[in-house]
Amino acid sequence: MQDFTRTTDETEIDRRTFVAQTGAATGVLALAGCLSGDDDEEDGDDPDAENGDENGSGEDYGDGRPTIEVEDPPNAVYLPTHREAMRMLDPIEAGDMMLGPMLSYPHDFWTIAGSGEDAVERESPDSGRGVHMMFTLWDQQTGTVLPVDDGVQIRVYDGDEQVGSPVSPWSMISQEMGFHFGDNVTLPEDGTYTVEVTIPPVSVRKTGDLVDRLDERVSATFEFEYDDEFRHEVIGGVQYLDEAEWGDRGALEPMDHGDHGEHGGHDGHDDHAHEDEHDDHEHGDHDSHDDGDHEHDHGDEHDHDSENGHNGHDDHAHVPYSALPRIDEYDGAILATADDESGADGVPTDHDSLPRSDDAAILAALFEDGSADAERLADDGEGDVTAGQYLLVSPRTPYNRVPLADAALSVTVERDDDTIVGPDAALAETLDSEYGIHYGLVIDDTQIEPGDSVTVTIDSPPQVARHQGYDTAFLEMPPIEFTVPEQ
Amino acid sequence: MTLPDRSTLSRREYARALVAVGGATALSACLDMSSGENGAENTVPSGTDDPDSLPARQYAWNEFATRDDKGNVEPPAHHVLLPLALTERATADGEPTADARETTESTLRTLERAYEWSTDGLLFTLGYTPSYFERFDEDLPEGVDLPEPAALTSREDPAFDEFDALLHLASNHPEVVLEVEEGLFGDQEEPERNGVVLESNLIEVFERVDENRRTGFVGAGLPTEHTDVSGVPDAVPKDAPFFMGFRSGFDRTQASEDRVTIDSGPFADGTTQHVSSMDIQLEVWFEQENHYQRVSKMFSPEHAAEELVGDVGEELGADSGLSDERIEATAADARQEGVVGHAQKAARGREDGDPPLLRRDFNTIDGDRPGLHFVSLQHDIEDFVRVREAMTGADLDVPSANNGILHYIFVNRRGNYLLPPRGLRALPAANPDA
Ligand code: HEM
Ligand SMILES: [Cu+2]
Repeated sequence: MQDFTRTTDETEIDRRTFVAQTGAATGVLALAGCLSGDDDEEDGDDPDAENGDENGSGEDYGDGRPTIEVEDPPNAVYLPTHREAMRMLDPIEAGDMMLGPMLSYPHDFWTIAGSGEDAVERESPDSGRGVHMMFTLWDQQTGTVLPVDDGVQIRVYDGDEQVGSPVSPWSMISQEMGFHFGDNVTLPEDGTYTVEVTIPPVSVRKTGDLVDRLDERVSATFEFEYDDEFRHEVIGGVQYLDEAEWGDRGALEPMDHGDHGEHGGHDGHDDHAHEDEHDDHEHGDHDSHDDGDHEHDHGDEHDHDSENGHNGHDDHAHVPYSALPRIDEYDGAILATADDESGADGVPTDHDSLPRSDDAAILAALFEDGSADAERLADDGEGDVTAGQYLLVSPRTPYNRVPLADAALSVTVERDDDTIVGPDAALAETLDSEYGIHYGLVIDDTQIEPGDSVTVTIDSPPQVARHQGYDTAFLEMPPIEFTVPEQ
Repeated sequence: MTLPDRSTLSRREYARALVAVGGATALSACLDMSSGENGAENTVPSGTDDPDSLPARQYAWNEFATRDDKGNVEPPAHHVLLPLALTERATADGEPTADARETTESTLRTLERAYEWSTDGLLFTLGYTPSYFERFDEDLPEGVDLPEPAALTSREDPAFDEFDALLHLASNHPEVVLEVEEGLFGDQEEPERNGVVLESNLIEVFERVDENRRTGFVGAGLPTEHTDVSGVPDAVPKDAPFFMGFRSGFDRTQASEDRVTIDSGPFADGTTQHVSSMDIQLEVWFEQENHYQRVSKMFSPEHAAEELVGDVGEELGADSGLSDERIEATAADARQEGVVGHAQKAARGREDGDPPLLRRDFNTIDGDRPGLHFVSLQHDIEDFVRVREAMTGADLDVPSANNGILHYIFVNRRGNYLLPPRGLRALPAANPDA
């Protein structure tokens, strides 16, 4: 006979009687500014003041949840009001993958299902009690971050009892965390929770060292502690930017690799001047860098040694950030922007000179037939490998090179009045162990030549949820016309 | 067993809660309540002494249900799925005994005498699993497609119904499904209805597999009565018959009973049944997506853009407003719109324009979480598998979150059944002609 249990005060009290275990937490990662815990930043009104509801009832974050209202943000990537703080847990194995959990307070983000205005919805958590639960997934062998939504699921348990319904976390992008999976998860009470994550086979087209791999459904489990201390950390660690900068074009630096990313919007220096001088995003090499490789050339007050004593920073350097390779790491011919004067003959030479579509930077490269890259990228392990050129299109965020996954792109190649490829040939979303997620096409029945015009159309924009600062960009994306440069 | 607290629940909530609990105490509480309302013993139409007057098909329900003003069948509101395992004493040499057959048949006839065969009385089916048929030396006859249940998507890891049989009880009156269950399996005094004492020795034949007992409800207004359950948000629309907020099961998106009927061999006038049970994530659905997004994902992006649906589907008539073009455009919508609808996708499984599944799904809060028990009838289990593949849409170039409602459903169990014709519903042999 099944029990009809209604949620009563009694059961809520029961939920609190679990044995407190040592959480897997290894510390809070305060973001790049490295101001952690209780220290008040000079421009921060202490958001922590009202926080810490002793008896675990009511709105756990009180009015302390950071404000995020930005008036009239541009239709472009912009600086949010603050940097998030979060608790990073030890990465765990899930089959061939690693999963790096990150927890913050429940906060706003935007979901998207389509492209028009109606297709975007702002999620504002109405219950302050719970967490914004996030994790990054990556392949252990290649270090590739897995930026595609194949139906990951999470189930939260309090002991043996399942808390709430299962959740399919959104694939999301955030300036600080890059691509990750996440959602706001309401929790009934303080306590130790167990999270079971199941990851279905990665079904996107795979090339290089990913061929025939990640084809199993795998799962992993982690635990975390939800209590005053946690709330204190993730609220207390929040750092506000100068209000004058809120909504300025720019982006926060990636948290993990740290330091100052490609620009430091909040310091008031020119955001775009720092592109690509930041070189610690070596693709597939996430484990090997250490602080010594970073360029500490900003010299501002946020230089970050671990002097604050919080133990987050260095411990977590091994959670990779989903940055795509820099432009000079592509061995193929970078296509020229048809109407762009920058670079030699309009060929982009750095991230900044890539053409933009609704503020997404679009890199297009052509790999010649017979080149190692073309051969690798043509071989997805399915059926015969047809030799040919390979056309790669890689949209990314304009500052942090976060891949814009789960869009649909197509291409038309023209020579004089002839259509050589297409019109509107679909590009296949592909995950390559070297070039990461991109949209590609094997050109096997014709040959693209210098002087050809290559029009990339964005059929639908990246269907990934967005943290603040990415919510107004990459939505209505006009086509980009490229030209194949002379050798 | 604890009864739900009457004082905090509306009448209908309370009735639903009682069905979920089951048992004699729940039954008497339910009867008290239903007679207390209008002072008189409530009336349920009585059945028949003439079994031949009843349809040959156990699942002939549509003719005995009401229809809404658009002509769509209104399914019975309250449901119980009783999983049954044959007892040892019901078998000899592994096969069911004549006595056991006799007991089963006479029990079901008792039910048919007590209640009218209708949504206002009682409708039921008794189906058998592949595990049940395995005990026989012969195979099921050709033309009956009943494989073992299997996982149908790469993201699920379901448990399987491996007991022998499933009794699906359905009625608009919660006390009817309760008292039937109590009459069949309770240890209290046998209930009486319309002068018929629901006496039965069915417990000699079957044991109820308690942990897999399932209950539920469907109909406008019923889902919102459960916003007290954690995981059921207040935002569920008041008129919605299903938790996810839309009407479903239109006359022209359902297979007819004829369409799903096995037409030859010993099991002619039988059919196959698939039962899957799933959790539904309603908080994210209602709190993180807007109506436009929900309509895009449930029906199609065109339904959203053209505002074809209305709040809960009231703008639709006897179909879901899917043109052939919209169904064919599913793959194109995936790329062009970045989102495809559940109905649009599933309709790709139609054969010559006809939907192959007759869906009789209902909402549940079993386990104190919102969910759905998806009961579907089809000629072959293979039809279900094919339509489910169309719904999964692995071929579509669209992220999982925008692939219909996949983001929101979590399959926990699957079971396949044969619903024999009424004449063979009591412990049939795998090949009755052999
Ligand atoms: C929570 C779960 C589900 C909900 C809320 C739901 C809801 C709906 C709705 C609103 C429609 C459109 C109206 C209609 O035609 O009836 C529909 C159609 C349909 N659904 Fe579902 N459904 C669910 C699960 C499933 C499952 C598991 C299947 C299994 C294959 C399925 C198969 C179908 C089919 C075959 C159609 C009709 C397609 C056609 O028009 O040919 N549904 N569903
Ligand atoms: Cu997030």
